[in-house]
Amino acid sequence: MIYSLNAEEMAQLYERISKEFETYGTVDIQGDITFSRIESYDELRIGRSDKPPKEFLIGRNENVLVFTEPNKKAVFGVMSCDLKGFYIMDKQIYGKDPFYTARRDNTVFINYVCTEPCETGFCSSFGGPLLNDYQIQVINYENDKYLIYADDAYKSFFEGFKQASKEEISKVEKLMHNFNMKQKKHEVEGIENRIKWNSKLWDEYAKICIQCGACNYSCPTCYCFDLNDVGEERFREWDSCILAGFTKTSAGNPRESLASRLRQRFYHKFVYYKKSKGEYLCTGCNRCTDDCPVDIEIKEVIDHDYNNE
Amino acid sequence: MTTIMNSFKPHEKRIARKIKETTDIFTIEIDMESNSYPGQFYELSILGIGEAPISAASSSSEKLKFTIRSIGHVTSKIFEQDVIGVRGPYGNYWPFKEYDRILAIAGGIGIPPIRALIHELEGKKDLWVIYGARTPSDLVYKYEFDQWRNKANLILTVDRGDESWNGKVGLVTKYIPEIPDLKNMAAFLIGPPIMMENSVKDLLKYGLQPENIFLSLERRMECGFGVCGHCNVGHFYVCEDGPIFRYSEVSNLPELFL
Amino acid sequence: MAQISVCPYCGTGCQIVVPEKDEPFSVSGYKGSPVNNGKLCIKGYTGLNYSFSKERLTYPLFNENGNFIRISWEDAIELAANKLLKIREEFGPDSVAFQSSAKCTNEENYLMQKMARVFGTNNIDHCARSCHSPTALGLINTLGTGAATGSIKSLEGTNTFFIIGSNTTEQHPIIGSKIISEVKKGKKLIVADPRKIKLAELADIHMQFRPGTDVALLNSLMFVIVKEKLYDKEFIDSRTEGFNELREEVIKYDPIITSEITGVEPELVYEAARTYATNRPSAIFYAMGITQHIHGTENVMNVSNLALITGNLGKYGSGIFPLRGQNNVQGSSDMGALAEFYPGYIRWDSDKIEKFAKLWNSTLPKKKGLTLSEMFDKAADGEIKAIYLMGENPLITEANIARVEEGIDNLEFFIVQDIFMTLTAAKADLVLPAASSLEKEGTFTNTERRIQRIFPIYKPPGEAKPDWWIINKIGSRMNLWKEYSGPEEIFNEIREAIYNYSGATYENIYPVGKQWPINKENPDGTEILHTRSFPLGKGKLVPIKFNPPSESVDGEYDLIMTTGRNYFHWHSGTMTRLSQILEREAPEPYIEINSEDAYERKIRNGQLVNVKSRHGEIRIRAKVTNLVPKGIVFIPFHYKESRVNLLVGENLDPISKIPEFKVVAVKVMP
Repeated sequence: MIYSLNAEEMAQLYERISKEFETYGTVDIQGDITFSRIESYDELRIGRSDKPPKEFLIGRNENVLVFTEPNKKAVFGVMSCDLKGFYIMDKQIYGKDPFYTARRDNTVFINYVCTEPCETGFCSSFGGPLLNDYQIQVINYENDKYLIYADDAYKSFFEGFKQASKEEISKVEKLMHNFNMKQKKHEVEGIENRIKWNSKLWDEYAKICIQCGACNYSCPTCYCFDLNDVGEERFREWDSCILAGFTKTSAGNPRESLASRLRQRFYHKFVYYKKSKGEYLCTGCNRCTDDCPVDIEIKEVIDHDYNNE
Repeated sequence: MTTIMNSFKPHEKRIARKIKETTDIFTIEIDMESNSYPGQFYELSILGIGEAPISAASSSSEKLKFTIRSIGHVTSKIFEQDVIGVRGPYGNYWPFKEYDRILAIAGGIGIPPIRALIHELEGKKDLWVIYGARTPSDLVYKYEFDQWRNKANLILTVDRGDESWNGKVGLVTKYIPEIPDLKNMAAFLIGPPIMMENSVKDLLKYGLQPENIFLSLERRMECGFGVCGHCNVGHFYVCEDGPIFRYSEVSNLPELFL
Repeated sequence: MAQISVCPYCGTGCQIVVPEKDEPFSVSGYKGSPVNNGKLCIKGYTGLNYSFSKERLTYPLFNENGNFIRISWEDAIELAANKLLKIREEFGPDSVAFQSSAKCTNEENYLMQKMARVFGTNNIDHCARSCHSPTALGLINTLGTGAATGSIKSLEGTNTFFIIGSNTTEQHPIIGSKIISEVKKGKKLIVADPRKIKLAELADIHMQFRPGTDVALLNSLMFVIVKEKLYDKEFIDSRTEGFNELREEVIKYDPIITSEITGVEPELVYEAARTYATNRPSAIFYAMGITQHIHGTENVMNVSNLALITGNLGKYGSGIFPLRGQNNVQGSSDMGALAEFYPGYIRWDSDKIEKFAKLWNSTLPKKKGLTLSEMFDKAADGEIKAIYLMGENPLITEANIARVEEGIDNLEFFIVQDIFMTLTAAKADLVLPAASSLEKEGTFTNTERRIQRIFPIYKPPGEAKPDWWIINKIGSRMNLWKEYSGPEEIFNEIREAIYNYSGATYENIYPVGKQWPINKENPDGTEILHTRSFPLGKGKLVPIKFNPPSESVDGEYDLIMTTGRNYFHWHSGTMTRLSQILEREAPEPYIEINSEDAYERKIRNGQLVNVKSRHGEIRIRAKVTNLVPKGIVFIPFHYKESRVNLLVGENLDPISKIPEFKVVAVKVMP
């Protein structure tokens, strides 16, 4: 269902949701937008968050031996590129990872659709910020006007709010069209066939990569984690495939070189996942590049002319 | 409300029996029935130290057995335990039901899932086993060899013999040509990557079909059920798509024999 | 809600955003930070788990005949104060020594050195001794200020980067990555390092010189600059003194001659000298590779010579960057937690210390203080009876640890204040549980002199308390001062004590810190030092003669070992080894050995070997690699299971008393 709300009604919507869910949202910490517990709608600051909301579903560091039923949470201010990450990783881990699955089922993400392209993102190369899969999707398309796409599961929250008119919807569609026209396109389609195993890119990147792990930690689709015992607990900790220990076993290491690990990351994103799950493991958020201290560009991996190196 | 099963949580099981096989390899028998087929693996754990993926050495009708080389931080301590954590089984198993004539080639500590296979088949199929180890003292299950010979055609070989050894010497590939009517067999391979790579080459040369060759791969399988992301080979996860792969489906993966 | 803090690892001082404990979020880089612009290294991302470890110390412990028993804070403070006072009464104030910590805040270091001095002794020192004491002494001698002369941001204006004795991408990864980003844009990079470090691969010139021959190498560079007249005559004339004397010394170092000493091809020296001198502005980066030598202070002064004669100081993009190891080693040194310096680098024997007598309302000690290794040495001799040590683990990090252990064992009373039961703490009579940097308030000063704030985001575990709280209590119990209300009051006293800090306030250094000097003349702080003049007036050029390192190879000890850190661990490993990811990446000690050396000794990769020096022996796994050249081996010092410092002798730089961690003759046996 599509609704049309004004700012005041948005605050009401928040109130209704917060009665049933523990509420979280993006807040401003000295200019950084980051996720936090919020107590009121006023605290919410919409903007590109410093990291994706992955931690709501996959603990950064948590004991997996004790499973507790998660609280119902509502997260306001999620960017579409980040939300999309969950729908993509669902295909690999939903239903299998009990923690992820239970939290996914108990969390409602309220995504705010960008109306202007950000400086570095390239989501329009993956379809743009207006998503087909969502729970509650908000477009603040004019000053006091919000168009909301809501899954029917949440329709009780919208009782009494008016449904969007055709004109309103078409206004938003046009806005989205313009968004996608404005943002530079990167030809993602077919990258799995163009990319080359022996490309010189991997060696070039290996020369400069300092193995900080930022590209993994900041990625809304990276789901890998490591398991480690500490005392009586067994911790799941986010892992980075850029590190040698990621694949090392007592028998040896199939990806000993940094170049092979960097290649693996891009192959997983653009070749393997596409082959096994039918989607690219990337949403065009560009965080991996933004947070990379040595400016390794994921867009370059997409745009690179592999045939003429 | 449905109770969710925590797939990360192992069952605590008593080790019923321990057998020292070589200086650094031992077999443990767990106090529970196998519920796995040959080729599948379990995650064994010691709380406070960690988990390790280990293939079952037992057939589906035996008590659960593992034969382990103490090399990692978990495996080097399992033998000292009375109780260990067990979860599984994970992954697929040798497609023994589909074939009547099977050649199993195992190198080194790759032998346990082949032992499981020998006991699973109970001599009901035409099973040939080539088992190679570095030296005679590295061979495990010596006490069962006679029993195996009743269930399969067994070829034992070592890279380097010693005074006590009057059996075959050489790599496993040396003895592949001794198997009659190779072409129409299925081959199950498990062992060091270089052994598997060379065996595959030879088997293809002798006319085996790539779709009838099966490899058991080993990677860093941490979760066992396709969520932690460590064990990929190409677009497969070894833990859920494998560990047994049909060669024709993986032959073009560049990281296959790493 | 989340808060901004500072990463507790290296001296880069990356700002981090830390969520509250029960929020399901993790640390990220603060995007508003001029230091790291939101970026972090692997230690920043995964290394902060230690703060939540169940192994944290949670209450004061008293060592009763080898058993630690829990005591109350009241008793612990009473005991500490009484013991120290009693020993002072019996043996005099110089029988007690205080060891501060570059991991602690400015306020804590200030308080610790104040405690020592008001107590009556200059026996105050800390691990800066083992890392950058030569920098403080060397640069104060030549320029007047012992600190980095520019900002991290100013590297955007640098045209030539000269790295000598710093594995920047591993030890200061965010600064290293800044250099990489600039080099990608076409800037020049010169690396002088015996090992093939990551930056060496990207370098235009890599001079793989022999450990301990820095003076010869630097002199040969200056030989070329003098011979080809590539120096900045105007700068030399107007801003420096002593050029003629320097010239006379360096003209003896023809690269053809020095190549015998350094092993570096003369052509490389020529090319490096020309690039550094002409493709300006040029900036020099160094770390322990320069300082941890018996010629450490001379090395630093020679680095300064090179920068001065080419006019590479006082301009945006130029400068000298001593890369600070610990997160607050700049600050702890600024605070005067050093035997020879009072706050603000005022020498212990200068008249200027009168100001502290007034500020502290106390008489001040007249005797020169002992340095870190001297403290343990004198303890072994029986002259030092008690040590109050905060946040250090000398039983892993000091040179000649057998002697350190002997000293500790000989103490009458040993207080260790830490967040973990370290190897050293386990030997203490009294163990005081401290708060981590995420649990306390205060300021850190990073490698570019930027004063930044930290906040108590989490509660300390159990009864653990911030270090300032503990020192504050013990000090007031000893009647050294009236109890401070909190860190801000201490910070305000620091502003009175150190003119270069006087303009900083809690408000103006948040959320983004400011670089000292921050005072009346520079109310907004100072990005680039020495733009118009040096604190000394003119920069002093000091001719340095090459002398060989303390150890050399012979028929038996035929390899030169250097020690250092790796990317994944921090110092004695107390913090990083509790991070599962970091520990997975570098789980055990190793020796890097060149493949030819390994082959000659029949050593395989991964094999356990014995490494023996003239001072000790350890067993360790071999990592056969050509990252080290033939003749040189490398061992990181993080691992308590094979402490490499058992192999390091007590050869000290006579000026700074830093031990020569970087040149030890060893033999390696399978």
